[in-house]
Amino acid sequence: MLEKKQLEHYLSECMRSEADFAEIYEELEHSETIRALSGKVEDINQVITSGLGIRLYKDVQSVYAYTNDDSEESIMALIRDLRDTLGACEKDVSVHLERVTYENRHPAEIDFESVPMAEKTDLLKRSCDAAFEADPRIIKVQATLLNVKQEVQISNSDGKMISDTRVRTRMMTEAFASENGKMVSGGDRPGAGMGLEFFCTSTPEACGKEATRIALVNLSAKDCPSGKMPVIIDNAFGGVIFHEACGHALEATSVSKNASVFCGKLGQKIAADCVSAVDDGTIPNAWGSQNIDDEGNFQKRRVLIENGVLKSYLIDTLNGRRMGMESTSSSRRQSYQFEPTSRMTNTFILPGNSSFEELFEGVERGLYAKKMGGGSVNPQTGEFNFAVNEGYLIENGKIAYPVRGASLIGNGAEILRNIDRVCSNLERGQGMCGSLSGSIPTDVGQPAIRVTSITVGGTSNE
Amino acid sequence: MNKQKWIDYALSSGFESFEIYQSESSERTLSWYEGKMDTFVTSKVLGTSLRGVISGKTVNFATEDLSDSLMETVIASMKEQASAITSDDPGMMRKPEPFEPVQNSRTWHQPSAAQIRELLADIEQKILSYDERIFQATSMEWSEQTSGRTIVNSLGVDAEEKHTVQVLACGAAAKEGSEIKNDYCVKVVTDIETFDRDAYIKELCESVLNKLNASSIASGNYPVIIEHEAMTSLFTAFSGIFSGELIGKGISPLKDALDTQIFSGLITVIDDPRNTESVNPAAFDDEGCPTYRKTVVDHGVFRTILHSTASGARMNMESTGNGFKGSYTSAVGVRPMNCFVEPGDKTLDELCADMKEGLVITSLAGLHAGINFITTNFSLQCSGYLVKDGKRDRSVTLITIAGNFLDLMKHVTAVGNDADWSYKTIAVPSIAFESCAIAGE
Repeated sequence: MLEKKQLEHYLSECMRSEADFAEIYEELEHSETIRALSGKVEDINQVITSGLGIRLYKDVQSVYAYTNDDSEESIMALIRDLRDTLGACEKDVSVHLERVTYENRHPAEIDFESVPMAEKTDLLKRSCDAAFEADPRIIKVQATLLNVKQEVQISNSDGKMISDTRVRTRMMTEAFASENGKMVSGGDRPGAGMGLEFFCTSTPEACGKEATRIALVNLSAKDCPSGKMPVIIDNAFGGVIFHEACGHALEATSVSKNASVFCGKLGQKIAADCVSAVDDGTIPNAWGSQNIDDEGNFQKRRVLIENGVLKSYLIDTLNGRRMGMESTSSSRRQSYQFEPTSRMTNTFILPGNSSFEELFEGVERGLYAKKMGGGSVNPQTGEFNFAVNEGYLIENGKIAYPVRGASLIGNGAEILRNIDRVCSNLERGQGMCGSLSGSIPTDVGQPAIRVTSITVGGTSNE
Repeated sequence: MNKQKWIDYALSSGFESFEIYQSESSERTLSWYEGKMDTFVTSKVLGTSLRGVISGKTVNFATEDLSDSLMETVIASMKEQASAITSDDPGMMRKPEPFEPVQNSRTWHQPSAAQIRELLADIEQKILSYDERIFQATSMEWSEQTSGRTIVNSLGVDAEEKHTVQVLACGAAAKEGSEIKNDYCVKVVTDIETFDRDAYIKELCESVLNKLNASSIASGNYPVIIEHEAMTSLFTAFSGIFSGELIGKGISPLKDALDTQIFSGLITVIDDPRNTESVNPAAFDDEGCPTYRKTVVDHGVFRTILHSTASGARMNMESTGNGFKGSYTSAVGVRPMNCFVEPGDKTLDELCADMKEGLVITSLAGLHAGINFITTNFSLQCSGYLVKDGKRDRSVTLITIAGNFLDLMKHVTAVGNDADWSYKTIAVPSIAFESCAIAGE
């Protein structure tokens, strides 16, 4: 990381231009990925990422430079390039930085770099063993342990200088089951914003057993029917429906350029009464949490929808300027190689009053989507999709049999109005969200919900 | 970074062989919005990936911090890795092999900043005046990237390759009633001065306007043509099935399929990293192994498993020169490089005329989640248009296409002639299929 005096010098140099704001984002990340196949450690990839990004604003225009060459010559060459693009001038601005300190809300107890490799590979072996022991039809198990420690320092021409350390741990286990020449897989991918103490509460064995359970369900699954039908989406990663159908379209990246179905809808009803949702980057040690966003603003809990009414967008500083609104501390990026923009953190629908059983009442034929995969959305049209990794057909209000290969599609603006029951069993699941500023860790979440009608894409046309 | 110092230190620390792979890239991207520059991005990044063989194991470490003071710590970490790896795979590094550099036929004319601004301003204005239903020009961007990679190892490999690419990407949004549709168009541009911007604008705007007045269709099985861009993305999503890494581990659907009929006899797949139709031809892979043209699937028969050195060794086979990294931070894996399905002789219009009644899929969404690589089942959001009496009819949206990729590729009725490499490393023409499960109303 650069010294305070160096940063003040570079920021002052940045401001010798038509820029009205300058920011330097520095990053040092150590990561380690260990992969095992059926208990044998296959490969280990350790990575040190170290670089910086310099950003200048002129009203709603931004220029951004990034490099991992921190020599003065390299940094000044980039600054000159940015100044020339924005318009250089001999304005004399002297930047004085004040370091902002705070209490870390997401402390990590066990640093992965201080733990012997053998202890970490043992975690993978435990997960593989548990997956195998759960059923003899499991033929292979692939387990991956991901450890990340990212240190960032953000300084800007307003005089702010602030740092954050983000630690993440995740295990990803995939079990492959085979029977009668057919091979299927099932996976589980829990993670958190903490060190290796994560495995005190979320055991490798549980991860392996869950992967096996899903693989076995998929082994006996039949083709999924197609067409519009009621769908019950279970809790935790089921929240990907809100992430895709609504979350992305609330990001200022789309809203500020009139490219979202939810433009101009603040204060208006956009969802059913039973839907309230938040984006909360402050949850201690959650996968999508951080102390500060990537512009150095303290993370917040943002109420997005309250009883169906749109209460807030997700706004970064630059897009906030275009919208005439304050940042909601929602600026995030994968690394220094990305200019930050408005993104989600931990986004979820709040608990409702229905019991799980009540969701099934009156459903003559529908789909129960227990485990979801990822999805995507076109924020401008609102059209979204996501995959069902574990699903069951519902017949006469009861689970009939498992189905495979389904996806759900719809229009975000319509789907939010078609949620008619919300259960009380809120849980969150971990994922990686990809968008303009790269791939970032986010939690999705919800209690189990029922959507009255949604298009199910399956292979069976009866 | 003093490469020789690192290599010498690694060898003196017990490594049998040691390799330094470096990737250097620089970028200049200018985006445009509402008559002025929106963002400008410039960058210069050098990534270094270290690989060594010690005690018969291959270990990896990637770093952007090149200070020689880190050398001892990094080498110690790599040695610790070796003691933790328990797989039976033999660690291997390549010796120098002769290769012919690829003679790239493209000449890139780098435009001035003023030329780029003029181009984007002009295109924006022309998009907005193309049709009254078009209300927005979006995601307008000019990007220039140069990249290079070097590989040196203690066995004498010393290889270097550089690439340049210039890309124009623009989008447009159109509205009719309450319906909004958008699309974008990406083109590789060698010279702004000779670039046919009117043809580009027409292609983009017509594509967006054609999406209007779209609705769903009844669920059912339809004869389907998957248009080349959508077909390329579907094929790319499943291209890993040819990887010797997964076949060797027994978790590929093609694990026992070599020399068997896996696709229709109309399908031939060629992998040719040296192909200069791609903007990214490669004379050697990321291990320094020379690349060459090979037939992966010959008239439907699976003929070549793609291999890196390690995946080949696992199956007692040679590398096919397909040991590529996803980026400098990742280990060498197995990837097709400049791979294509051999085109047929019919245009998309002729394929439609032959199909008479059916559906053309022009775009697929959710490919990162809606496919199952193990079973090759897929279920994906898509859009396109209906074909009636052999001609384009109304547009279709909010439907899904679902099936099994291997099964789908066995039921091909025709292959088009319209593959387009653009900036990609896989190119597939439009393909007509007997029938696909479509979910809609």
